[in-house]
Amino acid sequence: MPVKLRLLAGLLSVCAAVPFAATAQTFVGAFDVGPGGNPQKFNPLVAPAGFGFYNKYFSTLTLYDVGLQKISGDLAESWAYAADGKTLTVKLRSGVKWHDGKPLGARDVKFTLDLVRHPDSASVFAGRLEAVAEVKVVDELTLAIGLKSPDVTLPDAFTSIMMLPEHLLAKMAPKDLRNADWWKSPVGSGPFRWIKYLPDQYVELEANKDFHRGRPKLDKLVNRYFKDVSSAAIALQAGEIQHTYLTLDQVKENQSHAVFDVVSGPSNVLNYIGFNNGDPRFQDIRVRRALLLAIDRAAIVKSIYGGNARLGNCVLTLPKYVPGYLERYETNVAKARALLEEAGWSKLSKGEPVELLTYYSDQLSKDVLAAIQAMLAGVGVAVKPRFVDTPTYSQIVDAGKFSLVFAGQGNGPDPSVLNTVLDSNYAPPKGLNRMRISIPELDKLIGAGQQEVDEGKRAEVYKQMCKLTNTQLPLLPLWTANRFGGFARNVQGALWTPAPGGGRYQDYPERWSLR
Amino acid sequence: MKYLLNRLLVNVPTLFAILVSVFVLINLAPGDPVDAFVPPTATLSDVQKEALRHELGLDRPLPVRFAMWVQQVAQGDLGLRYKDGSKVLDEIARRVPPTLMLACAGLLGGSLLGIALGIVSARRANSALDHALSLLSYLAISSPAFLVGIVCLYLFALQAGWFPAGGYSTPGRGDWRDIAAHLVLPAGALSIQFVAILTRYTRAGMLEALDQDFIRTATARGVPAHAVVLRHAFPNALIPLVTVIGASFGSLLGGAVFVETVFSWPGMGTLFLDGIESRDYPLIMGIALFMALAILAVNLLTDIVYSWIDPRITLR
Repeated sequence: MPVKLRLLAGLLSVCAAVPFAATAQTFVGAFDVGPGGNPQKFNPLVAPAGFGFYNKYFSTLTLYDVGLQKISGDLAESWAYAADGKTLTVKLRSGVKWHDGKPLGARDVKFTLDLVRHPDSASVFAGRLEAVAEVKVVDELTLAIGLKSPDVTLPDAFTSIMMLPEHLLAKMAPKDLRNADWWKSPVGSGPFRWIKYLPDQYVELEANKDFHRGRPKLDKLVNRYFKDVSSAAIALQAGEIQHTYLTLDQVKENQSHAVFDVVSGPSNVLNYIGFNNGDPRFQDIRVRRALLLAIDRAAIVKSIYGGNARLGNCVLTLPKYVPGYLERYETNVAKARALLEEAGWSKLSKGEPVELLTYYSDQLSKDVLAAIQAMLAGVGVAVKPRFVDTPTYSQIVDAGKFSLVFAGQGNGPDPSVLNTVLDSNYAPPKGLNRMRISIPELDKLIGAGQQEVDEGKRAEVYKQMCKLTNTQLPLLPLWTANRFGGFARNVQGALWTPAPGGGRYQDYPERWSLR
Repeated sequence: MKYLLNRLLVNVPTLFAILVSVFVLINLAPGDPVDAFVPPTATLSDVQKEALRHELGLDRPLPVRFAMWVQQVAQGDLGLRYKDGSKVLDEIARRVPPTLMLACAGLLGGSLLGIALGIVSARRANSALDHALSLLSYLAISSPAFLVGIVCLYLFALQAGWFPAGGYSTPGRGDWRDIAAHLVLPAGALSIQFVAILTRYTRAGMLEALDQDFIRTATARGVPAHAVVLRHAFPNALIPLVTVIGASFGSLLGGAVFVETVFSWPGMGTLFLDGIESRDYPLIMGIALFMALAILAVNLLTDIVYSWIDPRITLR
């Protein structure tokens, strides 16, 4: 072999000798890639996403099953409301320990819930505990949570709140804790213990031998950071990582030469077109109906999403809250034109295009907006899509300086997540009702759903809410798209679903292993 | 010494103008750190938001905030990140070595390759090889770094499996061999445009030098061809190349933002992007200060190198 070729071969062999894949029982995942991630933000009290990774080293009182249908206890063994609905008693599992070996008890839970409610903690879950008046420790493993008014959504709220050790954090002021270094070497109670964080590279966890459900099968679990979804997918294909979120395009590409398993499921995020309800152009129901009739949603789902989305016809998407008697709004261009003419759209719009604002910047969303723009133009409604980043979007819509938005709303698992989005009392700056929806009947249903203890009656309340929003169209429901995760083929026992915020369900990481 | 002092004094107002521009521009951008802190689907009450804005000093007038920042910097403190309260200076210091490693590897490798190809191209001017190198150079100049990065990942990490698919080190490892293997692709992707530009400049400079009388004289004296090229022609083509290399340092730092993103390289580029996404003003200002200082220092170094390689140039 010529000298030059030998040198090249030698160089390549040095590179190839480097073991790029991790050792046999080290699971490397890109847990924070995609819309469910919250990369390198380690304070879970201010985190509306990233639960899929927080749950690997922290624990919550309750969690959903992987189908997001039923809540079960994680740290909580049981819970029950008093007859008047104003006290919630929670019993904790015994024998649970923090990673430093100290027992986890009711005092820790009280500490955490009080911390969430403290304004200085800036917790995004404070609003979910608004009904809580007082948290009392009854004994080592029992708490009594006193409520100002009945709130049956607390077990759902608990799925988001990671429990924190009182013995390590009680002396720190909530304001100081918010940005404390403690979060970068935390002590949790989950199946894995925190070992190391290398900024912009990865977090390394190791098996918690004292985990209350038994030692995990994996020795280590690593969360590797990627700024770019494509880079993470390439790392999965190259066998360097065992899991990442995938886009629809990446899934389609994998179909032709499958090198990993794809798990798909409904995102539980309703994509919608929202109106500024204060804008006179959209106050006539005929205009809103016309816009929905003009958009061929079925064609978009078929051609752009490749069938990987389910049409929505009201603000709720979980099947148990969607009645069968809804208007389907199948595309009818002639009817849409007639409705716009009746409503005097040409006078209302003054011939000017309407801006359609969105914080989505991926290619799929751009294709969707191009299709919507063309369909609306077909009935004489000119819209102009505008793509901005999240802080810009928030500032514009909070200030009410918008006409139309294309956005997504987490839609469960409990429908109460929509309370501050739909209730007229929660218009900005107080809450998330950014579309300035104001329907008194809807406000009443929201209150009823919050307080109804009986599961069957509660479902009926939400079915009425679904019907009401189907008729009144305070926003245009479009579809719930599927999302995808990829797992290397040597992974066993892993549970994953594309839940809003990337988690809040029991994925039993202690059962995960590698062949 | 006097020259250095003069240049430093000239650079102070330039630096100040850069920092004022960056500060005004980032504050003009819609959305503030609190808007970035709370995602569109999360609730934070107006009271909590206002408390956060007050705590971060965002309710103070812009000139006051800038004056406070300058005062802080004068004391050697770049402030705290809005996102997580960590020290901006520490964050930058942690990311400087990876970025310098990337930029220097790109600069060094790119310079060697670009100059070598340029010399070959000039020596074989108008040959098939020259035309092929010209075509490749134009292609490379027109290819953005992020695209080259993705293509490199696909070809050399995924298809060939020669190099890791991004990252700085393998979890659990991190020795020099491991880091070097991770460096090859991003440094290569970063330097592609630079190689092409340098090839073109070297070719042009060499063609001009090879046409001079002293080259003909050297050849007539029987000096070997390679010595004519390397000892006589190349030094005369070097001045514009030093300018290009010096000026390219800034572009390489800029390109690092995209290359680091594609390759998940934990450097200043990804940190800068993170700062912009989270409207982290102290971090953005800290990085702007660092970048401006680095580029001004390289410009100064370029001037010094001029006088070193060409004694006819004196620094005043």
